[in-house]
Amino acid sequence: MGPAPLELDAVTKRFGSFTAVRDLTMSVPKGSIVGFLGPNGAGKSTSLRMALGVLSPDEGKVNLFGASPNIESLRHVGFLPEERGLYKKMTARATISYFARLKGMSAGESRKRADELLERMGLGEFARARVSKLSKGMSQKVQILSSLAHQPDFLILDEPFSGLDPVNQQGLEDMIIEEHKRGATILFSTHVMEHAERLCDSIVMMARGRKVFDGTLDEAFGALGRAVLIGVSAGFDLDAALKPKGFEINERSGDVWRVRLPAGVDAQDALRAAIDAGAPITSFRPEEARLRDVFVSLVSEAEAEDLRQSLAADTARKVA
Amino acid sequence: MIRSIYLVARRDYLGYVQAWGFWLGLLLTPLLLAVAIMAPTWAENSQPTRYYAVIESGDTFSTVLDAELNENRVEMARLSLDPASVMGGAEPNEALVTFDETLQSGASIEEALDRAGAPAFELPQAGFVQVPAPATTQDAITPYLLGDQLVDTPEGPLPLFAAIFVPDGDGEIEYWSENVTADTLLRRAKAAERTLAERRIFESAGVDPALLSRASQETRPVTERRARPASSEGGSQVTMADRAPFYASVLMAFMLWFLIFSVVNYLLMGTIEERSNKIFDSLLTSVKLPHMLAGKLLAVLAVALTLMGVWALGTTILATALGDMIDPGIRGPIFTVLGSVGDFQLLLPALLSFVLGYLMYGAIFLALGSLCDTIQEAQTLMTPLIVMLMVPMFMITVAISDPESPLIAVMSWVPVFTPFLLILRIPTVLPLWEIAGLLVLMIAASLLVLWLASRVYRAGAVHGAGVGDVGKWFGKLVPGKKSKA
Repeated sequence: MGPAPLELDAVTKRFGSFTAVRDLTMSVPKGSIVGFLGPNGAGKSTSLRMALGVLSPDEGKVNLFGASPNIESLRHVGFLPEERGLYKKMTARATISYFARLKGMSAGESRKRADELLERMGLGEFARARVSKLSKGMSQKVQILSSLAHQPDFLILDEPFSGLDPVNQQGLEDMIIEEHKRGATILFSTHVMEHAERLCDSIVMMARGRKVFDGTLDEAFGALGRAVLIGVSAGFDLDAALKPKGFEINERSGDVWRVRLPAGVDAQDALRAAIDAGAPITSFRPEEARLRDVFVSLVSEAEAEDLRQSLAADTARKVA
Repeated sequence: MIRSIYLVARRDYLGYVQAWGFWLGLLLTPLLLAVAIMAPTWAENSQPTRYYAVIESGDTFSTVLDAELNENRVEMARLSLDPASVMGGAEPNEALVTFDETLQSGASIEEALDRAGAPAFELPQAGFVQVPAPATTQDAITPYLLGDQLVDTPEGPLPLFAAIFVPDGDGEIEYWSENVTADTLLRRAKAAERTLAERRIFESAGVDPALLSRASQETRPVTERRARPASSEGGSQVTMADRAPFYASVLMAFMLWFLIFSVVNYLLMGTIEERSNKIFDSLLTSVKLPHMLAGKLLAVLAVALTLMGVWALGTTILATALGDMIDPGIRGPIFTVLGSVGDFQLLLPALLSFVLGYLMYGAIFLALGSLCDTIQEAQTLMTPLIVMLMVPMFMITVAISDPESPLIAVMSWVPVFTPFLLILRIPTVLPLWEIAGLLVLMIAASLLVLWLASRVYRAGAVHGAGVGDVGKWFGKLVPGKKSKA
């Protein structure tokens, strides 16, 4: 088994006094689909540009197929940048063929591949149309096809779903699965959690330039903690009733209380405790964990931590 | 590496030549150049003939004035009869001798041309023609000048353009005309008076005017010679072959300037397009930055060579098709000059100058484009560059009159002007150390500019630096001034 397609080791990137990425370590194993998640400005695109050698890290090391990013290793990579752009006067077919040739394909092979991909994406009749004549969605498809026309071993997609309608988003998801089946390793960034939930084996979450989570989806849900939603008749204080029994209630929406389950305690134990406490129960439902909740929780924590650090630094400055 | 450069160059080249602007430039440039060359002649020929009167006793002033006004037409007629002699200093042919003699005898230019036998030449029409004065006093002539009354002319009745009153004795000459902007006739009248004043002074000193006429006829020819003539046929006498390298160098310097001026814009526009279309990241993950820049520079160089090639081919076809229609006397000097273009001693430095000059200016425009999202943004930085590109054009003009001017010598050591001025200085028997020095300077300057341009390009393409950052970079260079950038 060869080296991992991508390994970042304690990578930091600064722009002037602003630190865009701080001490990021992550790995993308061969054959995996990894979601690179984070809110806008989290440092995802900067990290990906470093992974591709477009930007050099100020600290740390980037390994692409076991070596520093270079044109040879980049030939095995397909990249869809966040900022979409194509030569407007080129035709769809020529565009795909051009980028495939830059990655080492022969002229004939690249044209054949372009025709095949355009046909498969329903753009066959637009193969000879100039990019300027295509709709935004069509142009985006052409760019996606340009990034994977040379059948890369490793596909890096920066916010691939942004700007696509739900039908095309589904089409792209199918294409990612197809590429994965072909044997490609895939790393894609997004801030739409549903795509990551459906596609990823593992995820890396970023917030404020720092990695806040790196693991499988199950581990991510575990990080959030399990909970049950218990509805009670108006006026009953479930928090006061369950707290003595070791349960923590961290959210309430009307008369529905969110009860966190401590380690080793299951949903039935929580229900039993509520009944024992005389709670007039109107509804009961184990919470379905969503990646979005994990994301919000981790990002909020990171932001709160940043705020704490910033306040501490301010105080230290004032004292000094 | 070669493949990447080739692919980038090929794409860019095809992108440029498929644009309608390229074809417009290809076809219109020779037409516009032809118009620019012919414009003075057309302007002269399109001028209506103007009619003037001289009020004097006798015809002394009007005869001299007529000769002054026809000086250019005489020179054109002489050139048509014997270009080799008029331009190159060769012995005059029989036709020219006949023409000069006929003119000396007092005949008109048309008559002299007829006698010399030059039916193919169409003499431009005279700009000013004298008519008999319709009146002899200022009051009486005023209605003719105002157009209230008309004078008889070969074209029919027309207003009088000017009336010149020449008094007897020392009185002041009065030039009357309602047109105060077209001063050609006025200047010629002043010149005629200067000639007459000389004659009067000689006469007052007891010198017969006929002697002056004889003096001009018996002027000994001044033959230009040099120790190392280009052609051994005429001995040491300077011929067109000696001057041809200089004319060729002017031609090449102008071509270099023209090509750089016309094609560097392609680099600017192409890079702005890539930046505004956000293509850099896709490209930079497929091609190394130096290879991408090399491809782009090569593409535009190929565009320049295509333009040159098509124009050269067009000129050759036209010359072959119309060659017989060109007077052999004119064709000879042209081919001598064109032959000098192929001279290795001139061609090699010229080619190096072209390549290095193109690289220098191309890299600057490429870097500039990488900082701009729109053409409007680029224009804020374009003005100083255009001014910088115009200076060599002025230098070429100075060099035409004196290629050994100290100004040209000094300016040729300014790297951005070296490519143009080195070519112009080569025919002036430049010492070898200076040629070598200028070439080294050009190479070093080109490498420095390329290095700086690639850094600016990286800042623009990778880090998104913009026009506003240029000011900050310069700010950093000012000692003691801190910049936030």
